[in-house]
Order: sequence, then structure tokens, then C-alpha cells
Amino acid sequence: MKPLLQMTDLHGGYGDANILHGVNLHVAPAEIVVIVGPNGAGKSTAMKAIFGLLKIRGGSVTVGGVDITGWEPNRIVEAGVCYVPQVDNVFREMTVHENLEMGAFLRSGDLSAAYDRVYGLFPDLKERRKALAGNLSGGQRQMVAMGRALMLEPKILLLDEPTAGLSPKYMEQIFQISRDVRDTGVAILLVEQHAKQALAFADRGYVLASGCNRHEGTGADLLADRDVADMFLGG
Amino acid sequence: MEWIGFANYAVFMAIFICIYALLSLGLNIQWGFTGLFNAGIAGFFAVGAYTSAVLTSPAADGRLGGFDLPFWVGWIGAMVAAALIAWPIGKICLRFRSDYLAIATIGVAEIIRLVIKSEDWLTNSARGITDIPRPLGDLSYTMSQLAYLGIVMAILLVAYLMVERQIASPWGRMMRAIRDNEDAARAMGKDVPYRRLEAFIFGSALMGLGGALFAHFNRSITPEAIDPMVATFLVWIMLILGGSGNNRGAILGVAVVWIIWSLSEIVTDQFPHEYAVKAKYLRIFLIGLMLQLVLRFRPEGLLPEASGERKPVGKPSD
Amino acid sequence: MGALEIINFYLVPGLVVGSIYALGAVGITLVFAILRYAHLAHGDLATLGAFLGLGLVTALGISPYLALTAVMALTAVVAVGIDRVFYDYLRERPKIVTVMASLGIALMVRAIVQMVWGVDSQTYTRGIVRPENWFGIRVRDRELITIVAMIVLVVALQLFLQRSKWGKAMRAMSDNPDLALLSGVDNGKVVTITWVIVGGLCAAAGLFLGLNFELKAMMGWSMLLPMFAAAILGGVGRVEGAVLGGLIVGVAEEMSTLFLPTEYKAATAFAILLLMLLVRPTGLLRGKVL
Repeated sequence: MKPLLQMTDLHGGYGDANILHGVNLHVAPAEIVVIVGPNGAGKSTAMKAIFGLLKIRGGSVTVGGVDITGWEPNRIVEAGVCYVPQVDNVFREMTVHENLEMGAFLRSGDLSAAYDRVYGLFPDLKERRKALAGNLSGGQRQMVAMGRALMLEPKILLLDEPTAGLSPKYMEQIFQISRDVRDTGVAILLVEQHAKQALAFADRGYVLASGCNRHEGTGADLLADRDVADMFLGG
Repeated sequence: MEWIGFANYAVFMAIFICIYALLSLGLNIQWGFTGLFNAGIAGFFAVGAYTSAVLTSPAADGRLGGFDLPFWVGWIGAMVAAALIAWPIGKICLRFRSDYLAIATIGVAEIIRLVIKSEDWLTNSARGITDIPRPLGDLSYTMSQLAYLGIVMAILLVAYLMVERQIASPWGRMMRAIRDNEDAARAMGKDVPYRRLEAFIFGSALMGLGGALFAHFNRSITPEAIDPMVATFLVWIMLILGGSGNNRGAILGVAVVWIIWSLSEIVTDQFPHEYAVKAKYLRIFLIGLMLQLVLRFRPEGLLPEASGERKPVGKPSD
Repeated sequence: MGALEIINFYLVPGLVVGSIYALGAVGITLVFAILRYAHLAHGDLATLGAFLGLGLVTALGISPYLALTAVMALTAVVAVGIDRVFYDYLRERPKIVTVMASLGIALMVRAIVQMVWGVDSQTYTRGIVRPENWFGIRVRDRELITIVAMIVLVVALQLFLQRSKWGKAMRAMSDNPDLALLSGVDNGKVVTITWVIVGGLCAAAGLFLGLNFELKAMMGWSMLLPMFAAAILGGVGRVEGAVLGGLIVGVAEEMSTLFLPTEYKAATAFAILLLMLLVRPTGLLRGKVL
């Protein structure tokens, strides 16, 4: 299948130094792809590069065949890519419902179907729709963050360490919801610290090390790989 | 005898430039090297001026002092008084972003202005304090002016060398590290607010000294002697234009701005009265505009901070 | 001293001047929270609004109340213009550079007022207005109108911020600017709307200050400290906090004359400011600390 998102030979970093030294990856429609790797491997950086949040010095990012390298974030959002940062990913002083409204900021017309869909995916949020997002638990905040991103009905959702700091129960829940989202036709690219669990749940995975591709393959293949296991799965 | 008048004027200007250069150096310590926004320069200046005036003027009825002390006691007193005012303000505000310091220093300058205007027993209110002794002031006019120029130049030189030495020292490197990257500086285990407080107090003391030198030069000080906003703002534009983070730039900026400022006053004073009043405000408008243009087109100033350091405060981070 | 004296001599004047501070403080708190810098030209922008009002009142012979909307609109345009011409270019620099630029703007705006309208005190209307007596409480019409107008403007602003799409975008920008941008909010438009609102509120503050007292070139600058004290007292970013802060600072200033010489009214605001920074920098209603 033709890839929805394609990153080709990407080089870049924040200051003068490059963190990414030629990263290649692609995501097909309705596919869950996970990026794992040791600390400092450039996982989150690779994801931010898609959103132009760092200096890109080489390579390209395309979405549906259109080159979006260097676009402004709001144009990338319009192109159907939504990004959920790892921290500070909700509007703390706005209600859950207002957070979703902000997610739909670029949309007009009747949004009731979109709200229904998101509240259907996250029944917890429906109960707490009038609560301030800042008063929710970490797991619920992560749901608000995902829900906000889904309001635009993106083609692909980028999740930066969505399970960081969450209990195993919530981690499982986030993974389950991610599958549900995928089943509605949205592709998901996520960065994960919990490599073993993430690879077990994803369709495919990439292992990055020192800003380069190290391994790629299906989750099961990578889990079975000795080298991958030695590197960071810790046996 | 035109040239004598001209020479006298040049000496007069030079004295003013030296006094303003002290203020500019003080601000450079605060803003140029440490990134602190002091919008109350005139307040510290006035505290210095009045402190030295009270300490050194002859005894007078109806107000505190004068204690008739030697001038150098007054000057040291001026620095101590300015530092003592800076200390609590800095202590409270330096934990936050410099915006808060800007507001608080505006406030402190305002309170100082009110105290000077209304506390008869301390400052003699609107009449001000007169008979402030000027060192070597008994000489003939020209000689006395030249002697005072020598004194302020010597003080400026000492202050300049001291600041340069401080800035090259580990203390100075630490200051720039704090300014350029607070997180990194904190990670290195430096007590950031304390270091900033040192810079704020040190800079304010220099401003107090500048005020004292001004009072002794004029032999008197009154509440109207300086317009607080204009004085504060002039020092800012001097430093920014000259090159914040560079002490020579700070002094060059003083010379350039003071000469423009004074000459433009001579020009506008030739206008008929009704226009002369308006022209006064036009000059203020233009000095404000000048700041905007420098900030936008040449934020590093005429003499940028030495390379190998980082870009000066306010330069675009690409 | 009886309760009526306290009300008539301290509480009523305090609430009137407090309402004026509130109008200014709301603008300061919005700029602080959304644009993230302390706007030092705020007071002088209010001065400009007051004098634009004087221009309309004298040129058209209308009452200052009638001039209010026009003056708010004019000052809003000026505020947006100042942002476009001066502040906007400094957006990528450290915010403190814009603070400095705004100090320069304060001086420039005041110089324009001094050039156009001169330096003498002026008033909108001549003559002395006697206060009405409501069961012993003496209030002038203009004082009542000042308080009511403040309430109306703030309620309208709150409705805009809570209900409208762009009002929510402003709150989002204040709450989490990065996420707002990721949600597709156009920062430039938020900045413009913020200045329209802030400019309008500034003008209202200036006009009511001129109406209750007199117009002079330094009127706005001397309001800067109480306005900032009010914004910080209420909690930066909190509109209702700025109103509360404004009223408290206004009443505290009037009450301070019970213990302090009148000249030191301004010191009250300064004391409140330092006290809040010392003990509770987030303000009464848990605002931001930059």
C-alpha cells in the first residue's frame, strides 16, 4: 500500500548540532507504527521533525505524496496530521469540552458527529466534560489530549510517549483506545519508552539509535530479535 | 572670545558625559551583563544626589543635616544609600522574570520622587539643597570646571577598569552564563537570584555615585533638576545604542546621545517660544523613536559585545 | 467616624477610582497572559484615549459619554497600529525587549499628547457637579456611570472570552501557546484581537479618569503602578482578578489617607505590589507567574 506518511533521509536538530542523521520511516493508512529506542536516540525529535518544530537540514517529509517539509504547524494540521505532545498537552484552565472545541478550531459547520465519536472513544470524558482539564488525573488528561487531536479527524495521529508516567492500567487503556482509533481508519505513529509493551501492540516498529534507523519490522519480529532485546528490552 | 565660550561649553558637556557614563556603566552591569531591567535609574540617581547633599552641605535650619562632611564621605554615602534601596527591591523581584523588576523599579523611582517633593525635613522639598561643596570649587571658573572634569574622568576610569576586571573574572563569566541560559546556570549549582542581586546592587550603587557627582557639580539639587522619565530613558538609549554588554560601547553611546540631545536643545531653543515648547516634546518623541529603530535594526549597538561570547541580550535567536 | 463618613469619603471614591484601575488592569492582565510581557505604555495609551475624547467633545460638542464608543474604537486602532509598527518585529526576541520598546512607546505617546494638547490640565465639562444623596450616601452621576460602565464592559468581555470562538482562542493562547498553535490557532489574529480589546479598555479607563478628575499629560503614567498592582494582586491572566484587584487597590489608596499624607497614595499601590510578589506572586485568584 502507498504510504500515508513518508520520512526520507531526515537530518536536523535544535541548535547547530544535528540530532537526526538520516532517519527513514513510513506509515501506511490505518496502521499503528511505534518508534522505540534508548534515551537520546532521537525518537521524539524525529516526531517533532514532522511538525517542523526543529531545524531540518536535509531530507523530506511527505503526507499523501505532498511534501510538507518546513510548513507552518497550522498548515500541517490542515493537511491532516495531528500531534499530541508528551507534556503540556491540554489546556489546563479550560474544560474538557472546550479542549475538544479547540481541537476543532479549524473546522466549521456541524461538529456533533465529531463530539459523539470522541466521547464514544472516551466515555470517561463525557462524564467529566465540564471539568477543568487541569483537575483531571494524568490518564484522563492524556485522553483529553488525544480527543482534542482527533476532533480534526486527522489522517494520522502523532503521539509522543502517551503512556509516560501512567499506571499499567491506564497504559493498557491508552493502547486499547489507540486500536479503536486505528479501527476508525486513522493511522497512528507513536514514540514509546515502554518498548516491550509497545512493540507487542503495534503493527510495525522502528528502532532508532543515535539518530539513525537501527532496525525495522513487525512488532513480533522486533521482539524476537536478539540485538533489539540486548539493546534496550533488558531481557 | 567666542572660542573660550565654546571651550567652556565643551568642558561642561564632557563632565555631563562622564556622569552619564557612570549611569550607563551601572546599567550595563544590570542589563548588558545580567539581563536585568531597571526602569528606575533616575530614582537611584536622585537618592545618591540627595544623600551626598545632606552629608556634605553645611548645617542648615529646618532639615536634617547638613553634616558638612568631606565630599568623599558623601560619595561613598551615596553609593551605600542607592545600594540599600536596591537590596530589598532586588531581593523581592529577582526571583521572577525581569518584567516584574521593571515595574517595581518604576514604582521605587516614583516613591523616591514623592519623598523628595514632600519631605521638608529631609530634602527641603521644592527649594532643594544648596551650598553643596564642590571639590576644588574655590578655583576660578574655568580652572574649577577643568578640575572637576579631571575628578569625574578619574572616577569614570576607575569604575570602568573595575567593571572590566569584574566582567573578565569568574564572577563575570558566571553572570553571562546566568543571562544566557538560566537553566544551565542553575544546573551548575549557581545561586542565580543571589548573583543577580549582586549585579543589581552594584549597578545601582554606580548610579547613586553618578547622582552625587551631579549634585556636587551643580552645587545644588532640586526635585526639578532631572525629569525622571527622560533621564532614565536617555541612559537606556545610550546603552542600547552604544552596545549593551560592551563597556566601551556603553560610554560611546553616552557621548553620541548626549551630544545629539544637547545640540538639538540648542537648535530648538532658537525657535519662537510657542514652537520651542512643542519642539521639546518632539525631541522626546524622536529619542523614543530612536530606541525603536535601534532595537529593530541594530540591537547589538554600535560596539557589539565581544565575539566568542554570546549574542547580546535581545538579539534575535535564529 | 461613622459608617456613612467612611462610605462617602473613602469607599465611594475608592470604588470609583478602583473601577478605573480595573479597566486598565484587565488590559494589562490580558497582555501579560496572552502576549507574555509587561506593557509599560498602558497608562499613556489611556492618556491618549482621554485626550482623543477631549478632541471629540470639543470638536463635536457632544457629551463625553457619547464619545466613549468612538474613543474606544480609535484607541483600539492606535493600539493595533503600535503593535504592527513596533512590537510585532520583536516577537522572536526575548520578551523583555518588547517591555523596553513599550517604555519607549510610553514616552512617544505622551510626547504626542503634550505636543497636540499642551501641558495644562483640562476638563471635559466645566462647573461643579453636586453629588446626589441616596439615603445618606452621596454619589455623583458620573461616579455611578463609571462603576456601571466598568461592570458592563467587563461582563461583555467575559462573555466574549467564555462563549465566542476567538475568545476561547485567546484563553487557549494564554493557557498553552504551543498547543494553541498546534490546534491551528492563528497567532497574528489573536494578537490583533487582544490589542483591539486592550486598546478599547485603555481608552475607557482614560476617559473615566478624565471625567472624574482632570486631563493632564501625566494622568495615565501615574496610573501605571496601581494598574499593575491590581493585575498582580488579582492574579495575572485572571480578568475577574484584575477587577477585584483594581477595586481593592482603589479603596486601599483612599483608606491610606487615614494614616498617611495624601501625597503617598501611590505608595499604597507599590506596597501592595511588593507584598504580593513577596507572599503570593500568583495573586488572589491563582494566576500566572512569568
